[in-house]
Order: sequence, then C-alpha cells, then structure tokens
Amino acid sequence: MIEALRKKAEELLRSNTVDVIYGYGEGSTPERTRPVFITKPEDVNKLIWNKYCVYNLTTYLKRQESRKLGKPAIVVKGCDAKTIVVLIKESQIKREDVYILGVTCNGVGEPLATKCKACDVNTPRIYDDLIGEKIENKEIPFDERYAELDEYEKLSEKEKWDFWQKQFAKCIKCYACSSICPLCFCDRCIVDKNQPQWIDPSAHPRGNLSWNVTRAYHLAGRCINCEECQRVCPADIPLNLLNKKLAKETEKNFNYRSGYNIDDELAMATYKEDDNQDFIK
Amino acid sequence: MAEETKFEPKIVAFLCNWCTYAGADLAGTGRNQYQANVRVIKLPCTGGIDPLFLIKAFERGADGILVSGCHPGDCHYNSGNYHARRRWNVFRPLLEFCGINPERIQFSWISAAEGGKWVETINGVVDTVRALGPFEGYQKINTIGPDASSESSQT
Amino acid sequence: MEKTLKKENFNSLITGLKDQGYRTIAPKKDNNLVTLDEVQSADEIHLDHVQTNNSIKEYFLPKTEKILSYTLEKNKVSIEEPEGFAVKSVVFGSRPCDAASLPIMDKVFNWDCSDKFWVERREAITIVTIACDKCDNYCFCTSVGLAPDSKEGSDVLLTKISDDEYLVETVTEKGEGLIKGLETVFSDPVAGTPDRQVASVEKKFEIDKIKPWLDENFAHKIWAEFSMKCISCGACTFVCPTCHCFDIVDECTMSKGDRVKNWDGCQFKMFTLHTSGHNPRSTQDQRWRQRIMHKFKYYVEKFDNILCVGCGRCSRVCPADMNISEMLEIIATEENQKE
Repeated sequence: MIEALRKKAEELLRSNTVDVIYGYGEGSTPERTRPVFITKPEDVNKLIWNKYCVYNLTTYLKRQESRKLGKPAIVVKGCDAKTIVVLIKESQIKREDVYILGVTCNGVGEPLATKCKACDVNTPRIYDDLIGEKIENKEIPFDERYAELDEYEKLSEKEKWDFWQKQFAKCIKCYACSSICPLCFCDRCIVDKNQPQWIDPSAHPRGNLSWNVTRAYHLAGRCINCEECQRVCPADIPLNLLNKKLAKETEKNFNYRSGYNIDDELAMATYKEDDNQDFIK
Repeated sequence: MAEETKFEPKIVAFLCNWCTYAGADLAGTGRNQYQANVRVIKLPCTGGIDPLFLIKAFERGADGILVSGCHPGDCHYNSGNYHARRRWNVFRPLLEFCGINPERIQFSWISAAEGGKWVETINGVVDTVRALGPFEGYQKINTIGPDASSESSQT
Repeated sequence: MEKTLKKENFNSLITGLKDQGYRTIAPKKDNNLVTLDEVQSADEIHLDHVQTNNSIKEYFLPKTEKILSYTLEKNKVSIEEPEGFAVKSVVFGSRPCDAASLPIMDKVFNWDCSDKFWVERREAITIVTIACDKCDNYCFCTSVGLAPDSKEGSDVLLTKISDDEYLVETVTEKGEGLIKGLETVFSDPVAGTPDRQVASVEKKFEIDKIKPWLDENFAHKIWAEFSMKCISCGACTFVCPTCHCFDIVDECTMSKGDRVKNWDGCQFKMFTLHTSGHNPRSTQDQRWRQRIMHKFKYYVEKFDNILCVGCGRCSRVCPADMNISEMLEIIATEENQKE
C-alpha cells in the first residue's frame, strides 16, 4: 500500500498535477507519525502509511503557510475525507483545488481511537484516487454510533455539571483544539475579539466553560468526528463528547450527517418549516 | 422578615422587536401585571441571537433566560425564527449535556397580539426558576477568588 | 546534610508537612495524565512516570490569576489587591529539570522590577525533587547542561537507592530546615556508597554549537521547512516550565472589574498583532524562530542562561510532532558542517 501511495505521489508531482503532497511521515518515535509536505518527486519515499496515521491532514488547507506551496494532493482516510466535503460546501475550497488521495483504513491508533470504533467510512466517500483495497462500508445503526455518549447522558444534572467543571478546569487555553480543527477556519476567532469581549480569555472556570461550549457549538452540524481536538488536548479533556453530542442532536432533529453527502444542504444554514419545536412554548 | 430572605430570580428575556417585544408592550398598555423579575433585552430578530448572549447572561448573574420571537411564518425577515429554532434545537441539548437545567433557558413564540400569552409565559418562567433556586453552579464560577487559579487547576 | 527516606514513611512525611501548615503538591494520576497537583496523603502520589504533564511553573506563575480588583463608585475608584496568593507549600517529587527552571526564571522576574507574585511564591514554596530513574526519547536535559540528578533549583534532592528507599540530600538552608523539622521521618544514611538509581539521558547535541549558528542564521530556510507542520497553538509554550510570557486583561462590568494575568504564547498569531493591523510575526516560521531564538539566543544574551531545561514536554504534547531537540540537533549538525 505504501508503494502504491509513493508511486501515485511521484506521478502526481512529475506530471505537475499537483505542487505538493500533504502526507504522513515518520515521527519522533515509532508510535508517532507526523505531517510531511512533499514537493519533490525524489522525496516521495518519506511518505508512509500505518496505524499511527491519526492526523486529519486537511487542517493544512486552512493554513497560509502550506497553501503557499501550491495545489495539494492530500492523503486522507475516510473520516478525513468528510472534512473536504464540508469545506467545499462552506466555500472554503473548490473541488478542483485539491487532489484527494483516499486511503482505505481499518482503524488507527494504539489502542484503537474511539472515532474508529463505529466507523462507516473505511473507504472514503470522496476521492480522486483510492490507495489500498476497497473495503465495503458498513451501515451502523444510530444508537451504536453514539453509544459512547450513553454513560454521560445517563448522569444526573449535578453529576453532569460536576463532570464537565472538572474537565474544563484542566483547560489551559492553549487553543490546540481549535488550531488543529480543519473546520475552525475563522481568521480571527471569537475568543480573540475583545470589543466586546464575549469570551473571557482567562483559563478560569467561567472563561473555560464559555470557551469550550462555544467551540463545540460552532461545530454543530459541521464536525465530522475526526477527534483531532481531543487527541491534541494537552489537558486530556474529552472534547469530542461535546462534538458527538451535537452531531447526535443534528442527526436526530434534522436527519443530517456532516460530510456524508455533498448534495445535502448544510444543517445549520437551512431550515424546514416542520423542524422540531416541542420545547418552545 | 421571611419575605426579605425569599429568593427572587433574575430573569433575562431576549425578545424580538417585531413580535414578542410588542406583545410585552401590549401587556403593559393593557395594564396586565406580571412579575417584575424580568429584564428585557430587545433585539431585531431571534435569528440574530447568538447563543453566546445566553451564556453572557448567566455570567452576569441570570438565574433564568427566556428567548422569545415571532411564531413560525410570521418573521419580519421571513426566516429568522426558523434559523433560530434550528440553533436552539442543538444548543439546548448541549447545555443540558454540560449540566445546565434546560428549564433555566426557555423559548416561546409570542406575537404582538398576545399580551396575555406574554404575561402567562413570563410568570411561568419566573415561577419555575424560583422553584429551582439560584443558579449556584454558575454563580460560583462567576467569581475569581484570590487564588482561584491554583484551586481550579489540574484537579 | 544527608539522610535516607523509606517509601513507607512517605505518609508520615505528608502528614508531618500538613501539621506544620504546608500544602503538598505532588505527582498524581488522573485518567491518562500524571499532573502535579495538591495531595492529602501519600497514597495519591504517583511516582512511576517519566514526566508530569504540567510543569512546576503553574505554582509560581499560574495559568490565570487576579492581580487586582477595582470598583467604581461615582467619581471614586477603589482598588483591592489580592492577598494570600503565596500559599506555604512543598512541591514533592517534581523532576530536577522543573526545579532548574526556577533559578532561570528568577532572573527575569527580578529584572527591571521585582514581580511580587513570583517572588513571594518562591519564598513560600519549598522544592523537594526526585531524581529521574527513567527517561524517554524526548528528554534532553544532558544536552542543555543539566542531568537527571541536577540539584539546581531544588531545596532537597531525593535519589532512589533501592525499590523502597531514597537518599535525601539537602541543597539549601530552606531544605535543611524542612528536613530538621521532620526528623523522625528520616533515617541516617546507609554506610558505604549508596547505589543511586539515576536514568541515563542520551546527549543529543552540543549546546555550544547552537548560539553561534543562531547568531548567523536569522533568515535560514530551515525555519520555514521545519515549522510547516506547526498549527500555531500554544500547547508547547504552556506546558514549558521556562516559557513565561503573559497577557494582562481586564474582566469587568460597568462598575467593577478584575485585572487578570494570563499565560500567553509566542506561537499565537495574535501575540504580536498590532492595533494598526500590522503583524511583525505574521507567519509561523517567524514565530517558531522566535521560540528558538528566545530560548537559545536572546535570553542567553540578556541573562546568561539558556531558557530551556530539556524536559521535553513541548515535543511530547505537540499536536504535529514538532520536536525541539530534533531542531537543535539539526542546528548543531549544520554548525559542524560549516567548520
């Protein structure tokens, strides 16, 4: 599979189809990989593919530094490919601006990342080239996909509050969660705006609650569950639970799953006259 | 003396200019009394109410919030309330998931002609929140102690 | 002064400290992380780790702290200054690299003015370090002039001499006072040379080669190449025991407010953004260069110290696997090639 990937990458660079490959390379330790940016055909041997390729490389589509390298081909897993669908729908990129090197994937991380436990995109749903043998994507029932939330939804109001206060207290406001997120692409984040200051920049309980709730909420109906926020959090806050909760509510209420169909209207940019309103007096 | 210690909730109401605000106004001109716990904030449309407004209200000490606008189909800007409704559909469960009682954030459609419904709704919100008591959880995090940082960090 | 301490006496030590009015901060396990946190008993202390997730810095320069409060009444402004922020404490079981960061930072916090928050906390907190008996690939203390059993910055140094016993060496008078106050907990040293169990940390580069290269290569292409994968978050600077940049903000309503000091970091785009809209460090290569330059050139020129203790935290937490010692190795090699 690595050979096929390198061969394709070399071909794309030689033919000038793309200027750069965003891929995975060897990391600091054997259990780690790192993003690499290949611009020369002779460097394609730096590309690797293994179970430690957890990153969602599409985040580099929002970064001016990598964009300056020219048109990219991106190595994406099925989950990462969903980001590209959202970015196209949200007019951040055009389909023709990016060459998608889809890889089939049976799960990443050691131990297996939670995002992989109910995966239904082993084969990317969008790609220009597919590397690896096609895997039939499973249909996974709603309940199973959101099973991770069950134990938290069961908690009482006070238990929930205490749990999240304890988690948010750990936040150091390093903003790794939003920096890594491929869909957090605002040039100036709301937290960096101070006239007025909607969110306290301080890492105290008040500022941490409003920041973490707002970060999650801004991804409502958009998050594609790549879990990068949770992976990078140096304080080990289970951020993806919040995103997953929002994804669940979006699917339940609007029958919408982010990144699955390029023809679907974005959940939070549209409405239906008969949307649920049983909580409105 | 007992009355002095009775808890009076602070309620912030975010109202759309065209329907609910006018409805509340109608209640006033009709001399319909309602509980004075509410502070009204008038906005052009519920579609323009960022959920951050609601968080800010809690940060500034609100015990409960009411968000209210035009009935579906009546929006002055055609679809503002439909978009708002989508957001509330996900924001409300998110807050609930974080341990905030959904009764503290209530939503309603009240038209300019429904002065009576305004009185009924706002009284309902005040009574519910009064029964819930002060929003102690949030008020606790609203004050930074002298060494709040070391208390809260890495626990 | 030399003593020994049996692991079974940890509990009497913590209780003894508590009786004397100390708050004890020690490594504690919480889910996947080991963090320096307040402990009530020795059972909570976790020592089977390479490095704690958070650095000791947090207890001297907290991630957020109120530096004053103010209220406005008609034409009168009243200011209230915080008290009681310097809590008498012992940090037990921090690593020698963490302890070494403190004297380095003393220089900046006592430079043009003395930072009372830092200084008073430094006085109130005693550092009892445990020498590392293991390390990982990210550790590079030996490359920056330290060692897994350095005494810099510690008041007391413990070194493992058997599975259940530590050699206790006092480094400062403050440390000696602490030990003397708890004499029954400690035993006299064993006869002969104790078998010190200290990790061997591989030396990765020659530190002398770094600054000369930095002096010459402000515009080198490696800055951009190496930082291409950086995502501009602040994780590296916030977990770093020597990064000390902060930002001061007012959190206020109409009539009252708090002036709050928060950690800030040079990797954020906002860090250098001017009001005019101009940003002197608008791209990531400039910001990454700043981090390296500050640590290995500017601070050296100003305070005659490297602003890095080789704890490796930044590389461990980096979302994109930016590895600082790897960067320094490359620099040292480049410097070699020039010669």
